[in-house]
Amino acid sequence: MTTLAAVGVIPTPSIQYAAIAPMLIIFGVGLVGVLVEAFVPRGLRHVTQVVITLAGIVAAFVSVVVLAGTHRVVVEGAVAIDGPTLFLWGLILALAFLAVLTIAERALDPGGAFTGSAAALPGSAAEREVSAAGITATEVFPLTLFAVGGMMLFPAANDLLTMFVGLEVLSLPLYLMCGLARRRRLLSQEAAMKYFVLGAYSSGFFLFGIALLYGYAGSFRLAAIASAASSQLGNDGLLLGGMALLTVGLLFKIGAVPFHSWVPDVYQGAPTPVTGFMATATKAAGFGALIRVLYVALPGMTWDWRPIMWGVAILTMVVGSVLAVTQNDVKRMLAYSSVAHAGFILTAVIAATRLGTASVLFYLATYGFATIGAFAIVTLVRDSAGEATHLSQWAGLGRRSPVVAGSFALFLLAFAGIPLTSGFTGKFAVFTAALDAGAAPVVIVGVLSSAVAAFFYIRVIVVMFFSAPAPDGPTVVIPSAFTSVAVAIGVAVTVVLGVVPAPILDLANRASLFVR
Amino acid sequence: MNIWAPILVLGGIALAFALVSVVAGSFTGPRRYNRARLDSYECGIEPTPQPAGGGRFPIKYYVTAMLFIVFDIEIVFLYPWAVTFDALKIFGLVEMLLFIATVFIAYTYVWRRGGLDWD
Amino acid sequence: MELFGRDVWWMVLLKAVVVFVFLVVMTLFTIWFERRVVGRMQHRIGPNRVGPFGLLQSLADGVKLALKEDIVPVAADKIVFFLAPILSVVPAFMVLAVIPFGGEVSIFGHHTMLQLTDLPVGVLYVLAVASVGVYGIVLAGWSSGSTYPLLGALRSSAQVISYEVAMGLSFVAVFLYSGSLSTSQIVGAQKSIWFAVALPISFLVYLVAMVGETNRAPFDLPEAESELVGGFHTEYSSLKFALFFLAEYINMVNVSALATTMFLGGYRPFWPFSQLDTGWWGPLWFMIKLMALLFVFVWLRGTLPRLRYDQFMKLGWKLLIPVSLVWIAFVAVIRTVNSQYGLSRSTIVAGGLSIAGLLIIASFVAEATARRKERAAEGGEVVEETEFDPFAGGHPVPPMPGQRLPVPVGVLALGAAPDGATGLSSPPGGDTDPDDVRADQEDTRA
Repeated sequence: MTTLAAVGVIPTPSIQYAAIAPMLIIFGVGLVGVLVEAFVPRGLRHVTQVVITLAGIVAAFVSVVVLAGTHRVVVEGAVAIDGPTLFLWGLILALAFLAVLTIAERALDPGGAFTGSAAALPGSAAEREVSAAGITATEVFPLTLFAVGGMMLFPAANDLLTMFVGLEVLSLPLYLMCGLARRRRLLSQEAAMKYFVLGAYSSGFFLFGIALLYGYAGSFRLAAIASAASSQLGNDGLLLGGMALLTVGLLFKIGAVPFHSWVPDVYQGAPTPVTGFMATATKAAGFGALIRVLYVALPGMTWDWRPIMWGVAILTMVVGSVLAVTQNDVKRMLAYSSVAHAGFILTAVIAATRLGTASVLFYLATYGFATIGAFAIVTLVRDSAGEATHLSQWAGLGRRSPVVAGSFALFLLAFAGIPLTSGFTGKFAVFTAALDAGAAPVVIVGVLSSAVAAFFYIRVIVVMFFSAPAPDGPTVVIPSAFTSVAVAIGVAVTVVLGVVPAPILDLANRASLFVR
Repeated sequence: MNIWAPILVLGGIALAFALVSVVAGSFTGPRRYNRARLDSYECGIEPTPQPAGGGRFPIKYYVTAMLFIVFDIEIVFLYPWAVTFDALKIFGLVEMLLFIATVFIAYTYVWRRGGLDWD
Repeated sequence: MELFGRDVWWMVLLKAVVVFVFLVVMTLFTIWFERRVVGRMQHRIGPNRVGPFGLLQSLADGVKLALKEDIVPVAADKIVFFLAPILSVVPAFMVLAVIPFGGEVSIFGHHTMLQLTDLPVGVLYVLAVASVGVYGIVLAGWSSGSTYPLLGALRSSAQVISYEVAMGLSFVAVFLYSGSLSTSQIVGAQKSIWFAVALPISFLVYLVAMVGETNRAPFDLPEAESELVGGFHTEYSSLKFALFFLAEYINMVNVSALATTMFLGGYRPFWPFSQLDTGWWGPLWFMIKLMALLFVFVWLRGTLPRLRYDQFMKLGWKLLIPVSLVWIAFVAVIRTVNSQYGLSRSTIVAGGLSIAGLLIIASFVAEATARRKERAAEGGEVVEETEFDPFAGGHPVPPMPGQRLPVPVGVLALGAAPDGATGLSSPPGGDTDPDDVRADQEDTRA
């Protein structure tokens, strides 16, 4: 018993369970989902999973609303509950709700968009056996919840180690989900593999950055790093190196150039509902973590990171827009457009002001709902081989199903930033914030690349509405209520945020203060 | 002396013994070349050609390996917890029960899905 | 702890050499012991020619092995083939470094502990070093470039990691009680009660796991002679083979010594000798307990047939692990309740026994339901019954899974077989089906 005396009394940590209730709910429901997979008969699993997953997300959302206004650091300094955290939690949960609706869709493809046996080799006898028996798998729901939980922890982390845990918890389920497609499985598995390898590589950068910053500041705490950076002289190599590596890891997650190369392949190969989820919620979580690191841990270093971020933002916008123009595949085009959007958001990140934070948050909301709606519509246009994503196949879609094509056109207009859509207000917000901080050249490039981007969005609209439909073209499958609701909410939010953005902008403004 | 030093001493003796034995084996024994004897042994039939690098193993082994890592990590968490259990009181108990339950849920999933069955 | 790390250099060297020699001698002795005891169990005499009672038999065998040709198969990966026995035997020697043989004694006027060294993470060290030994086995099988060794190595790796989990879990309750990972303090904590008595489930789990961990009968699947020739060491000969043999027996001694330390009070004396708890008496009690455990190893080998691989994995994953986890939770809860409210010892013992009983009953129930389900599954679904040709390819062949031996229909129809029986034994894929048979019967009655 002498060891105990030697070790001394370990102080019992205090954990504010109420403050992290949203995350606990999400992880708890995820575990229940695993139990459902284990014990509920196969036939009932889908409906059970959909119900508990949606209920869990709603419950977590409610507890986020209850927490509104909290501004403190909890769980022994590991998690910061403040405006940006709560706003992003709400946003991620709302996006996850829509994503789960599209994931739950089963009217489009018998058995849904997910393979019944992910471990079976594509084209093997085992795969044929599974699909002949009509076996479906529903593991994607708990996986989604675990990813959502990680996405919530990622931007809320107040120390780098917690942030890394959040990063891995959000990434690992996503790697897996990318490889679950029912159709074009090789492409899907390739996407999963690419995402995994590059993701692991970027995690390595992230960890090295953490190690260097820890060596510099002697602490993982963001605030401690900030105070070390402001008081300590010398050893700048560690600080700069750590900052650079950490930023690389984060920029990879949000898909900024030059760390974007995985985006098109992964977005194209992953099952489309997962792509929608990944493109929106991951981006929200990634930007949340990025601005927390830059604003809370490295506020004194603004003059060091700003020039680099200028370059990254400009590159991201230009490369994303220009490459999007050359794409013939709708999913790839949306992927490059999401790269370009990451660039637009980065212009506000550069500002390093409260206005910058608010506009990042607002832009993420406008972009998220439009994107998830757009990917939901991609799932509807199908031919015998599954989703028809080649642009030429979309010719004349507007004549065949004006509602679907109209919604898609609305989302595209929002992406292009046409007034009266959410995209315009979002772009207006980020460019204002950037101008405010004196980043006029970035804004000029941003406006120019918006114009380039508008070109290819308009091109898709032209193809849909003004060219003759191909005789053997794809059909628009009538979805069940799941996808319809998701698209409808996407359309509604896009219009509302474009016409009356004030309430959400106001909310984002009030939520823009970080706790330190 | 450092508390680790005796371990190195013992390891050194063992290593020397093992090296000497392995090397000595080729000197103490006879050496009579025989092509058949140097073939792989397979009960008298022609040896099955071995794929380079050992070929592919059944996925079962990988599943077992992954499960092992999961539980080994659980054990790594359990040890320090057990040692400081009396200091952490109820908090330690509740948190660790939650942790064990979480891993147990994953375990039941694997069990129910046949991940633990061998045929 | 105070005495550790203070020994002079020659004391360290002396102790290290003693530990080394002890293990080599114990190996020679255990091999002889095993052969003699198994001999008795099989009403034979066992080796009795070389030396008194045949005690030098193992030494003679060792010398004989050294004089055999050292064969390196052409297909082998030479370097790894060479390294594997070393990798297998060195960690085996190193485990015993932290095992206490006795308490404080005086050697040539120097006060020291009868233990090579003690680490604050002693047991963790043991587990870490012991698991390095697996590499020896796996690499031996892999580098041989032959089928049987490869199979043995695969089995062995899966087996050892499976039972390592159970082994690791069985220690957790011990640490709960001892509050330390250091072996000498664990022995010290057993002054009032052995952990084998206080934590019976942990002890049982460890006993099973230690046999699995050392690849000994009835868990000797990696070297199953009747299936894999010799398993991972099929291609080894001469002294390299001897090293594997040595490692196996050292590991037996190691896990037994660990069991003695963790659960049987280490070098502390047992009941009638409770007063003899000092100095050089320690090693005697230690050796008695160690030999008892080694006898159990031999006893198991003399008694039990080898398990099938699936049974073996099932035992490890589906029984030992869940039982350990539930047991840990139970011990932790009891300990907390005890420290908060104070329970009498009899309450704890009664509670422990009832939980143990419940666990055992639960495992039986789970087993029974699993059986029933298995049977239902076999009757109900996928097993597609294919036509069985008893003379496929011109030879008499046994039925494959899903096929059944056809029963001569005429006999069945004429005999007064009850309805149930006809349903069971009729040939499903054959030319008669049960309804026809029943119709036939009714015809004959009519």
